[in-house]
Amino acid sequence: MTPFSLVAPASVDEAVAALRSDAAAGILAGGTDLLLDLDEGRTRAERLVSLRRLPWRTLDWTGEALAIGSTLPLRELEDDPDVRRRLPGLWQAVRAVGSVALRHRATIGGNLGRAAPASDLIPVLLTLDAEIELVGPAGTRTLPVDRFVLASRRTALGPAELIRSVRIPAARASAYRWQRVRPANDISQLAVAVARVAADGGWRVAVGGIPPRATLLPDVAEALGRGRPTDAALRAAADRASRDVALVADRRASEEYRRRLVGTLLRRAVADGLGGGGPA
Amino acid sequence: MTAAPATLRVNGATVALTPVPDDERLLDTLRWRLGLLGTKEGCRTGDCGACTVLVDGRSTLACLTLTHEIPGTEVLTIEAAGVDPDLERARAAFARASALQCGYCTPGFVLALTGMLKERGRDAPADELLDALQGNLCRCTGYAAIARAVAALRAEAP
Repeated sequence: MTPFSLVAPASVDEAVAALRSDAAAGILAGGTDLLLDLDEGRTRAERLVSLRRLPWRTLDWTGEALAIGSTLPLRELEDDPDVRRRLPGLWQAVRAVGSVALRHRATIGGNLGRAAPASDLIPVLLTLDAEIELVGPAGTRTLPVDRFVLASRRTALGPAELIRSVRIPAARASAYRWQRVRPANDISQLAVAVARVAADGGWRVAVGGIPPRATLLPDVAEALGRGRPTDAALRAAADRASRDVALVADRRASEEYRRRLVGTLLRRAVADGLGGGGPA
Repeated sequence: MTAAPATLRVNGATVALTPVPDDERLLDTLRWRLGLLGTKEGCRTGDCGACTVLVDGRSTLACLTLTHEIPGTEVLTIEAAGVDPDLERARAAFARASALQCGYCTPGFVLALTGMLKERGRDAPADELLDALQGNLCRCTGYAAIARAVAALRAEAP
């Protein structure tokens, strides 16, 4: 690790100014991913801009819509009873991140900004049509999560831009299923997120845990049909998923294992996604 | 790189630290600056939980926390056993169940358990108490004795 200096601006303007004055500065939220990458030399920064003094540790429900401040620790998101009840897929995904102790510091903004292929949150946020609110030198803008996360460790975040909040437009019946060797502090061999769109009963399906990034699978969702899928539809969707998803072998799992896993996790997630959540 | 003074409360005492480098981890501040060697360094990558301490009552990985990121907070380490009632309860449960062998991981386990007692109350359900320990690795016990310690703690809950 190379030594770094730390600044903790007291306002958004000061934070943006600090990032403008040093294009190579790192952005520090909870630090659970960034500090590790700095230690292991995967990321280099001589200066970190800490977001800890910004007033973004917030969680706001407006009717069925949820806005999550980017520096809210994941443990606080998990402890919101409405998140558990109305967005069960998100609740399950948050619980899949690290451990209780890690989630006391890790944040949703950090998870998105670091854009690890193993992110547990990105696949679920894709199925929930989440939007990312950004603030930077030119003011604020909003991007759908699908256009924010570009590739492994790469996002659409511009120079001196910060993630201010994550917005989920509506409560949805949803579920998240993963497979990994160790339940905590490990990353998944594969993960599947599903959500049901209340308006038409149609499904959103995303796969995660594999490089380069989590992806929506519209053809698989289409194969599921609307509402409760028939056995035939479920089989067709599982076949489609294991055929379509570009899978790799690495030290966590073989390609063949992952190919079987996609269908299995899809079935489990759909069964759970039928169970509950969505508008109160 | 710069360094600045830092003020924390550690185990009930205010400690004013002379210039602490910006990139210093809480783990190193506790062990090498304050001599509190009960907090262990295991993996230093957030995988093993051996460095778990409480920051304002919440379990925290000291290896992934910058000292300057937690100014003015209350830090609790294993050295406060016998003083903090929740910590003492967790420690005693581990001792009675012989939930340790080499003992290296034990302070991390005990602090993770203590954190859950503070977060969810002394009558926290057993699944929450075990959930608190998922991020801690033990290479000796096979976890059976640790699970017995948690069950015993739960049985004596008020």
